[in-house]
Amino acid sequence: MELPVLNETPAASAGGCSSHSCGTSDDQLGHLSDEIRSKVENHPCYSEDAHHYFARMHVAVAPACNIQCHYCNRKYDCSNESRPGVVSELLTPDQAVKKTMAVAANIPQMTVLGIAGPGDPLANPERTFETFRRLSAEAPDIKLCVSTNGLALPESVEELSKHNIDHVTITINCVDPEIGAQIYPWIFWENKRIKGVKGAKILIEQQQKGLEMLAAKGILVKVNSVMIPGVNDKHLAEVSKIVKAKGAFLHNVMPLIAEAEHGTFYGVMGQRGPTQDELMELQDSCSGDMNMMRHCRQCRADAVGLLGEDRGDEFTMDKIESMEIDYQSAMEKRKVIHEAIAEEMHSKRAAKVEKAASHADEPKLNTRPVLMAIATSGQGVINMHFGHAKEFLIYEASPNGVRFMSHRKTDLYCGGDDTCGDGESVLQQTIRSLAGCEAVLCSKIGYEPWDLLEKAGIVPNGEHAMEPIEEAVMAVYKEMAAAGKLDEAAPQEERATA
Amino acid sequence: MALQIIESCVNCYACEPLCPSKAIYMSEKTGHFRINPKKCTECEGDFKDTQCASICPIEGAILDALGVPINPPGSLTGIPPERMAEAMAELQAH
Repeated sequence: MELPVLNETPAASAGGCSSHSCGTSDDQLGHLSDEIRSKVENHPCYSEDAHHYFARMHVAVAPACNIQCHYCNRKYDCSNESRPGVVSELLTPDQAVKKTMAVAANIPQMTVLGIAGPGDPLANPERTFETFRRLSAEAPDIKLCVSTNGLALPESVEELSKHNIDHVTITINCVDPEIGAQIYPWIFWENKRIKGVKGAKILIEQQQKGLEMLAAKGILVKVNSVMIPGVNDKHLAEVSKIVKAKGAFLHNVMPLIAEAEHGTFYGVMGQRGPTQDELMELQDSCSGDMNMMRHCRQCRADAVGLLGEDRGDEFTMDKIESMEIDYQSAMEKRKVIHEAIAEEMHSKRAAKVEKAASHADEPKLNTRPVLMAIATSGQGVINMHFGHAKEFLIYEASPNGVRFMSHRKTDLYCGGDDTCGDGESVLQQTIRSLAGCEAVLCSKIGYEPWDLLEKAGIVPNGEHAMEPIEEAVMAVYKEMAAAGKLDEAAPQEERATA
Repeated sequence: MALQIIESCVNCYACEPLCPSKAIYMSEKTGHFRINPKKCTECEGDFKDTQCASICPIEGAILDALGVPINPPGSLTGIPPERMAEAMAELQAH
């Protein structure tokens, strides 16, 4: 069964409706071999489809780092911040194993355990590998993965391949040392701190070598890149080509997060992050060469739960100590639940293809694309109240179908109290985060936000509660087309931001 | 002759395994890593550069035998100290 993969088709080449493209497209993994697909289909970070159903967790066992990045600050102690490299509680391998088993027993849809920091996992080989060793023996139903800057990767590949780890993420921001020197002020290498271009050159060589070695072992590699306007934004399309050629199977371009209060070089020096449009444009320009990942939430090094949620507070060490976990019976329960989810995913996918096929004979629209925001708490359906959404998923509808584009947080990067910030109300902030969207689909919505959304040129829509996202988006798109709304040009950005 | 780790240490553990003299330990009293001055050799005879000060990411956290920071403000992050002071003042005023 062939599934259409709009995410890899350059938008410009869209012409003629392929037999079943209307209504489906979310599956970025369509062209992969069955073997790879089966490895990633329950991994929320690797499969867009899976992230609606399956949860992940990170354990913060790796405090040390062997490089400095200009977007990172090593003082990682804020519980209100949600960004990579930040944790509240550092764990020993023993505590990490207990925590993982407690979460797996309590959140059965948790399929993946990652080690991502707060430093670099491979700069803490003993702590990282002891955690992996014990988990692969004691909780064999959990997938293990690791995220690294790549400096120590070549020497770790052998050990990584021993532990059930079939997913590795390497953060590669450049392949040019001159650009690297603007991102990495120093690395620690062969017992010396090496600054500038020289350090960046070594890092880049190690990353590329590590990528090739992993690919040769058949370990799946995802590449993360941080998009830094004016530094590597023009360069990342080339990075995408190169890492694909060397065997990476997915590229995740993430926006730079830089605020002065984070105390990072970029934050303090006033380096801006990319706009939503710049990010999407770059992702589109890379997608001709590479599978792009668009659903990354840039989660903390101790995040727990579905992507976009963090249930870490329920699993602090003092709470875990008092939990009695019978992992054997938990594992049986998990198996039943995982099978049920897989069943649900497969039947939804089949229904989607069937439905799309039934529309194949309809006349093809010749209308402009539209962005819509979706409030969902998972399962791939519209099931969240507008006011409860902490983030919205952004989909693009066009005559070629519906494709997932990105997510937008409503509370930006600070989960602190509502009064911090510049006095803008939470509702105004939320509406501002939806700039560029023309409709928002949710299960319910109050009067006040309804009015404000309409004034901002965004149509609120609560008529598709509990329906599958893609179907609802396509239905609304067709209604808009029928009402003649798509004959006009897209509303100006100012209207949405006003 | 011995180096010193002071309270701005963030306990990232990076230095501890590198010390050729096993002089670095977690101090129960201060809650951060410290250097046993009786054991520290400043890596003399083992390495050209002092290892803890070469990997430490925190400016000012490690002092030399004279009490001078080996990594002074701005030397690791690249943030000029004046700019850092300015940014912090702006945040305070907010």
